[in-house]
Amino acid sequence: MINRLEATQYLMRHLTNEPVIASCGNPKYDLFSAEDRKENFYMWNSMGMASSTGLGLALARPDKKVIILDGDGAILMNLNSLTTAASKSPPNLIHIIWDNRSYQITGGQATHTAGKANLAQIARGAGFEKVLTLDTLEAFKQALPKVLSEPGPWVVVAITDNCGAPGRPPKSPTYIKHRFMEALGSRR
Amino acid sequence: MWAETIVKVLKENDIRSISFLPDTVIGKILNYAVKDGSFELITLAREEEGVGIVTGEYLGGRRGVLMMQSAGLGNSVNALASLAIPYQIPFLLLISQRGELGEFNACHVTMGKALRGILDALGIQHFTLRREDEVEITMRGAIKTAYTSEQPVAVILSSELVGWKDEK
Repeated sequence: MINRLEATQYLMRHLTNEPVIASCGNPKYDLFSAEDRKENFYMWNSMGMASSTGLGLALARPDKKVIILDGDGAILMNLNSLTTAASKSPPNLIHIIWDNRSYQITGGQATHTAGKANLAQIARGAGFEKVLTLDTLEAFKQALPKVLSEPGPWVVVAITDNCGAPGRPPKSPTYIKHRFMEALGSRR
Repeated sequence: MWAETIVKVLKENDIRSISFLPDTVIGKILNYAVKDGSFELITLAREEEGVGIVTGEYLGGRRGVLMMQSAGLGNSVNALASLAIPYQIPFLLLISQRGELGEFNACHVTMGKALRGILDALGIQHFTLRREDEVEITMRGAIKTAYTSEQPVAVILSSELVGWKDEK
């Protein structure tokens, strides 16, 4: 199993100015704890919308690789977004799903990936061709250069443990937005 | 004609993409958009994801419009309330209304009646198009207000304008 914070830290060491969209729940805590930067977009609610927001950004900005940090609970709430993303297939989209098979933030109740659901198979069925399931930090480290350099779209299902990260990102949605847009040069 | 005018105003206001879940009314708009050729068309599987997609586009500096039938607003409420509104994401929400004059399907009436109440409860400004001669000014004004206020603004296409759907 992968420690999510360690994997996020490793990922951030390999990024320069790529935008990262972090889902509500724990992905945004890990991202902030690993590295707070202007190119991070922290979602405080709208569960499931990280995948769609990342898709919209990737379509609008083909010049940027867009990384989505999602959770199993969140993507299970917006599974249809995988079919939309696969249909559009922007090559600059990297969708990482931390799959800890639980709703960690509400007390660790099991999600359906703890039962019979398999997110990688769902992603393939939605139409993604580049899909990886990684269950050790070593495998994650080994796969990352390829994921970051080869055209996608990629879906990476990373099987993680249930450890938490200590940091908490800024809470003002408009601060997060303005900072993010400024970094991307997209303010008018 | 209203559908052509809508596409013209979208283009004039630098709207570059259309995220939609089609109905017959939106289909008429899409026909003009396809003919125009300057929009990226994004077919949605569920309306809620469209809120995320136009949010992402805006964050990247591109303007998108979200088109749905009134039924789809019910599918979109939490994304509007917890993403678009608090993060102040402007876009035009174009809603084709079912459930008012001439409705044949009882299962569209409740959402039709609730439509404006839901938008009001969310604090989303909305304007209804009923006549051909108000399409251009309302569309133009709604888009301007959305980007000025940095909030989604809704324009509702009534059956007075677009005709009602007959049972087939």
